[in-house]
Amino acid sequence: MKKKMIFSNFFKTNGVIMGSILMGLVGFWLIFLIVLPQLSMLDYSFRFNLPPADVGGPKDVYTLSNYQFLIYGSDDTHQTYNSVDLKVFVRTIIAAMMVTIFNILLCYPLAYFLGQSKGSAFVRLLVVLLIIPYWINEILRAFALRIIFGDSGLLNETLMFLHLTSEPIDFIRHDVALYAGLGYAYILLMLFPMYNVIESLDRNQIEAARDMGASWVKIHRRIVIPHAKPGIASGATMVFMLSAGALAAPQILGGPSSLWFTQLVYQWFNDSLNWQQGAAYAIVLLVSTITIVLTVMRIFKVNMGDIGK
Amino acid sequence: MKSDSLIRIALGAYLLIFFSYLLGPLVVMSLTAFNSSSFPSVSPWACFTFEWFDVLFNDRHIREGIYYSIIIGIGTVILSVSMGLAASIVLTQVWPRLRSTYYTMIIAPILIPGVVLGISTLVFWDRLGGFLGATEGSVLHGLFHNGLFLTILGQSSFIASYAMLVFVARLQRFDTGLTEAALDLGATHTQAFRKILLPFMRPAIASAAVLAFLASFENYNTTTFTIIDYKTLTTVLAQKVRLGINPSISSLAFIIIVLTIFAALTLEATQSHKRRREAVAQGRMKPAGKSILPSFMRGNIAAIICVLLAFVVIFMVTTAQSYSPEMCKAEVREARQLEIQERIEALNAARAEREATEEPTSTVTDEQAPASSGAFGGVFDPGNLSTDTAEPEAETTAPAGGSGAFGNAFDPGNLETED
Repeated sequence: MKKKMIFSNFFKTNGVIMGSILMGLVGFWLIFLIVLPQLSMLDYSFRFNLPPADVGGPKDVYTLSNYQFLIYGSDDTHQTYNSVDLKVFVRTIIAAMMVTIFNILLCYPLAYFLGQSKGSAFVRLLVVLLIIPYWINEILRAFALRIIFGDSGLLNETLMFLHLTSEPIDFIRHDVALYAGLGYAYILLMLFPMYNVIESLDRNQIEAARDMGASWVKIHRRIVIPHAKPGIASGATMVFMLSAGALAAPQILGGPSSLWFTQLVYQWFNDSLNWQQGAAYAIVLLVSTITIVLTVMRIFKVNMGDIGK
Repeated sequence: MKSDSLIRIALGAYLLIFFSYLLGPLVVMSLTAFNSSSFPSVSPWACFTFEWFDVLFNDRHIREGIYYSIIIGIGTVILSVSMGLAASIVLTQVWPRLRSTYYTMIIAPILIPGVVLGISTLVFWDRLGGFLGATEGSVLHGLFHNGLFLTILGQSSFIASYAMLVFVARLQRFDTGLTEAALDLGATHTQAFRKILLPFMRPAIASAAVLAFLASFENYNTTTFTIIDYKTLTTVLAQKVRLGINPSISSLAFIIIVLTIFAALTLEATQSHKRRREAVAQGRMKPAGKSILPSFMRGNIAAIICVLLAFVVIFMVTTAQSYSPEMCKAEVREARQLEIQERIEALNAARAEREATEEPTSTVTDEQAPASSGAFGGVFDPGNLSTDTAEPEAETTAPAGGSGAFGNAFDPGNLETED
């Protein structure tokens, strides 16, 4: 009854034609592009990888085998663990967290500086400079780092020229390039939300605290950081989700042995053509990253509504 | 005061580090576009060249990739801007208790990893086709497995959220009284939308469209799953970068960087011009005095840099037409050949020495020596074979010392091979 009233109200304020266009567009987006695809992927992840002839037949039943494979590998007795894939998974999550923390630490001072010294031509120039790398393709940015970190790259040439090392260091094999690339790729998504909230902080608050004798650390801990919390939270969420789900940077900057979890998903889909297994891995990635984000947001008492503002 | 200046220095150092981390890689990549060495690098610097731009423009894959990227971009802009606009209008009217759930749902695609969005789109439309009974070869099956169709849908699912955020910011300042007044005066809902809301939203629509196009153009994670047998610029680039790289990619990056700088500067210049004009109109600032510069550029650093940059680019393009690095390249090739020759000679000398000390085995190595060294030299340059046949004398006529000095000028590392 109530629902009907909402809809009739909706059509009354928008008219029948406009109302149905709006509902149609939003409905298409929510149902056909967001909800149903995710559900069908979830459903798919519980199925066997069957030849087309068997789909819908008696063998087409639900199974946990795709998830079991991630934990136990091809071992049916469940004695040993699938250490390769699990290690990749744990490493992906931990590395994404590290990248996020690194970005917070690196961006906070700049966001504070830009946010508090508004208006001057120098600051505007800095912001323009920041926007430029933002619109360069992710792949080209990874490529740029590959030029620098490669065997005969700029960094190795410099180190050898300075006689700090006699042989080129394999930055790519040691994952230095990968972590630098991930930190590099999404750093601006951390900076801009932080900058936006700090810019809205009234400078008088800081002045007042300083006049009353608050130390520099205390000003930041009690005034700036609480005010900037939504910005930091949305930046951290974006960076964490994007680096955990990154594909281009690991493909380009990862060493031959190092895999990112998304690369495993990619392999199941494109090399092994086992979509069900790939869907299961993707679900694991999605659920675990969202759980981590929600947990961290709960710990720091941030609302979902603050994200994206 | 002392701690104050200390903070200043620390801030300066920090800004320097931050911006070199951010911009340094891009500068290095741009430089490699002009180095003739076939692997993208800045050192050793071989020759200044424009040839990689030629290679780039003649690359069929990249041209096709750009073509499809633009088609997908246009489709994504249309779909995601209209969905985002609708979603933001609905957000202002939705029942308050539903509001936060609804907001979470339309904001969620931004947070879902692109890989997951790509996979779910692929799986869903495949299964929908199966559900609707579309068989292999039917139109529906073709559509649901069409890379362009799937990519537009997959990208729109999250780009619409970006567009929605842009619209929400603008809609907050919209006075709903205007629409109500129009309706009271007898306008239909469609007319009120077209004549009142749409003009008000126009700037937001423009910026959302630009944002959506750029986001679509540079998307990789979702596209790589949904594109199937088509290709976009990003998938072509990713393939090229993974399989083996050459500086033509750097030249593409250089072009994109220059275009971005242009766009950013133009935007900044027009904004600064507008600010200035407003300030003058309000009497807060005196109009700029007489100067040789046109009024648009007065006191507007961004505009001046922009025009200067345009001149530099025009100059570069015109010189690129006439400039030829062949001379320099020939020199480098010659130096390289000398270097290789020298290395071979050093090897031969070492071998001869070994032979002299190890008399008994000399008969075996003697026969093998020319062949193996020939193969070694052949790796670098087939032309070296001729010098290899004259090998026995080579060690005595070795005083390629003079030429060695020439080669050394290009590569300090040679010093080590000589002794």
